[in-house]
Amino acid sequence: MKTGTGKVIPYEYIPDEGSEIETVDGRQYLIANDAMYTFFKRTKGELSPFFLALRDEKRLLGCKCVECGLVRVPPFLTHCPDCNFASTKLLEVEQVGILNSTAPITYFATSLFQHMAPYGRGRVIFRGADTALSVNLYTTTGILVPGILNKGTEVKLIFRTNRIGEMTDVFCVPTSELSRDQVEKRGLEESEIDWESPVEPNVLDASAEDTSVYREALKEIKSIVEEMNRNDRARKDIAGWRRDIAVKARGGQFALIIDERGIRIEEKELSAPDFIMVSQDLRVLLDGLAYRGAITDSVINKRLWISKNPEFTTIFKLDRMARSVARSKKD
Amino acid sequence: MSKRVGIIGAAVTPFKGRWQEKTYYELAQWATREACKDAQVSIHDVESAFYGIYNDIFERTCIPEHAIHGLLGMQNKFGTRISTGGATGAYTMSAAHAYLAAGRFKTALVLGVEKATDCFDFASMSATPEVIKTIGWSGDSFFEQPIGWTASDSYAEVVLAYMDEHPGDLKPETTAEISAQLSRQVRTNPYAQRQFDQVTREEVMNSRLVVYPFRELEICVYSEGAAALILAEEETALAISRNTGKPVVWITGLGEANEHSFVGKNHKIMSRIMSDYYASRRAYEMAGIKDPTQSIQIVELHDAFVHQLEISMAEFGLVPPGRADALIDEGLMTPGGKYLVNPCGGLIYCGHAVGASNVMSAWSARNELLARGLHTALVHGTGSTIAQYTACLILEC
Repeated sequence: MKTGTGKVIPYEYIPDEGSEIETVDGRQYLIANDAMYTFFKRTKGELSPFFLALRDEKRLLGCKCVECGLVRVPPFLTHCPDCNFASTKLLEVEQVGILNSTAPITYFATSLFQHMAPYGRGRVIFRGADTALSVNLYTTTGILVPGILNKGTEVKLIFRTNRIGEMTDVFCVPTSELSRDQVEKRGLEESEIDWESPVEPNVLDASAEDTSVYREALKEIKSIVEEMNRNDRARKDIAGWRRDIAVKARGGQFALIIDERGIRIEEKELSAPDFIMVSQDLRVLLDGLAYRGAITDSVINKRLWISKNPEFTTIFKLDRMARSVARSKKD
Repeated sequence: MSKRVGIIGAAVTPFKGRWQEKTYYELAQWATREACKDAQVSIHDVESAFYGIYNDIFERTCIPEHAIHGLLGMQNKFGTRISTGGATGAYTMSAAHAYLAAGRFKTALVLGVEKATDCFDFASMSATPEVIKTIGWSGDSFFEQPIGWTASDSYAEVVLAYMDEHPGDLKPETTAEISAQLSRQVRTNPYAQRQFDQVTREEVMNSRLVVYPFRELEICVYSEGAAALILAEEETALAISRNTGKPVVWITGLGEANEHSFVGKNHKIMSRIMSDYYASRRAYEMAGIKDPTQSIQIVELHDAFVHQLEISMAEFGLVPPGRADALIDEGLMTPGGKYLVNPCGGLIYCGHAVGASNVMSAWSARNELLARGLHTALVHGTGSTIAQYTACLILEC
C-alpha cells in the first residue's frame, strides 16, 4: 500500500448532521445537511503500467499501434479502432513536449480544488507522441496569469515527491523557467525546482498627498461597506463566512472583518490576520468594491497582492458583494 | 416510411437559482401539467415518456426518473431517460422523435428537469463550488478528474484553441456586447432566472475572470427548473391542432454527433466543435435545407459560454469561421439582424437547468415561430468534455 498525505475526503469538507428552516414568502421549508459518498478500491486494469511507471519509475508511457504507428499518450487503449482493432504496444516517450493549444487557467475552482487555484490544465504533446496528455500546468514565478502557457510553449514533466499512481503525481512547467540540466533530466522532481516564494510587497512611504488619497478612499470604502451590510443579497454572499483581513496601502492600514455581523472596517492593525492584502493605491480595492472592475482581476494583474492564493475564495465573495449591490440598484 | 412528428404542447416552470419550495418531483409535475394544458390533452392520452435528466448527483438519486413516472400519471407506460451532459435535452427530443417517427407511439412526453443547487460546499459556505464539483464528476475519471477538470476549463480549451487559430476573432468587446444583448432580450421572458439583470458591455468586461478567458457575465448560470413538450405523430398532431387552434411546429430535421474525448492526431481537433458541424449538417440534410444562411431565422443555441456561442454559429455555417464577430460587427444577430439568436436570453440569462435547458430552448423557439409568424428555427444542445456532444433540431411552422 502506498499512501498519500491526506484522507480521501478531507475532514473540512464534511458537515455536521442537522437541518434548518428557510422561509420563502412567509412559508417555512426544511433544508437538511446531507451527502452522497461511495468509497472505492478502484481498479486501474490495463492502465496500470502507465500509472505504475509514473509512480515507481518516473517514466512516461504511451502505446503504439502495430499497424498505423500512431503513438497515443496516455496509453488509453490496447487496440487501435482506426486499424480494425490492431494491437498496440507500450513504449516510453520523452518528458518534454509542447502545448497543443493555449491553456485555460482556473481561478474559481470547484470545492475539491480551491486549495490548488489558480491552476492551469492543458494538453501536452510530448516528444514521440501523436496525442496529448492532459496535465496540470504551473509557473515557478508566482500566480499563473494569461500569456505564460500559450500554444507551442515548451514544457517539462515534473514528478511529485510523494506519488501514489494518479495523474496528480505529475505536472508541467515551462522549460524556459528551468536550467538546461533540469530540462534534460528524466524524472525531475518538484523539490529540484526553485519556486518563487510569496513575499509581501513593501508599501512605499506616503507623501501628504498619498495620505490624503488614502483617507478619501477609506472614507468611500466605509460607505460602500455600510451599503453592503444593508443589502440582503450582498449579506447572503458572505453568509457563514469569517475572515480577518489586513489591508495595507500607501498611507495606512486597516482591518476588513467578515463575520456573522456582516462586513466592517476597523482602523487597527491585526496581529494574526487570516490573510493580507497589499496595494500601493487603496483606490484599487475601492474600485473593486464599488463595482468599477473586479478585485479578482486586480490580483491577477498584480495591482493587488494577497498573501494566500486560496483566499481567492474570499476575493470572489467581495466581488460578488459588489455586483449584488449593483444588481439591487437595478431592481 | 417514417412519420412526421410535431410539437403540440409546451411549457416551462420558472428557472431559478434555487427552489427551496419545490423538489424535482414537483417541478417535473408542474411542467407536465402545463404542457398537457397547452396541448389540451389529458396525460392519459400520452403514450410514452422521455426524461432528460443530466446528473444523478444533482437529484441525489440514481435513476431519478423512476420516482416521477408514476406521479406524472405515466405508470404502466413506456419511460426511458437520456443523459448526455449539456446536450441531454436535445438528445431527449431526438429520442422521442425517433420512436414516434417509427410508429411505436402516437404521442410522447419530453420532460427535462434538474435540481442542481441543493449541492453545497460547507468549506466556502456557498453552492457554486459544489455544483461545479458535481459536474466535475462527468470528466474522465482516470486522467482528468484528479487534476481539476471542469466543464468551464474544458470548454475554455476549445475556445482558446480557436483563438490560437483566429487571433482577431472573439474580441472581448464583442463577447461582452453579445452578453449585454442577451441580457436585454431576456427582459421579455418571465420564466427566466435573470429577467431583470440587464448589464452593459462595460459591466461584462469588468466582471471577474472565472476561468481564463471566461468572465463571470459570459458564462451560463446554474438553475433549477423543468420544461416539457408534448410531441405527436402527424395524424394525431393535426387532430390536436384542430382542437387547440394552434399550428403544429414540425420537427423536420435532426442531427447528432459525438467527438473523440482525447486530443491530437486523428482525434479531437481542439480548435473546432466538429460535433456542432456534423450535427447541424445532418439536421439540414434531413430538413432539406441547402443554404442555412437563407433558411434559418431563429437560433436557440446552447450558450454555455458566449465565446462558444460564436464558434457554434460558425460551425452551423451561419457566419464564416474566423469571422464570428460579424454576428455583432455586421449586425447578423443584433436587433433587426438576419438571425434571432436566443430570444429567451439563452442559458446565460434564462438559466441552465441542465436536463431542461434544451427543452426550454425548443419551447422558446416554438413560441417565437408562432408569435412572429416565422418559418424555421434551429435548436441546439452541446455537452460533455471539450464540447464533445451535439444534437440539433430544425423546427418549422
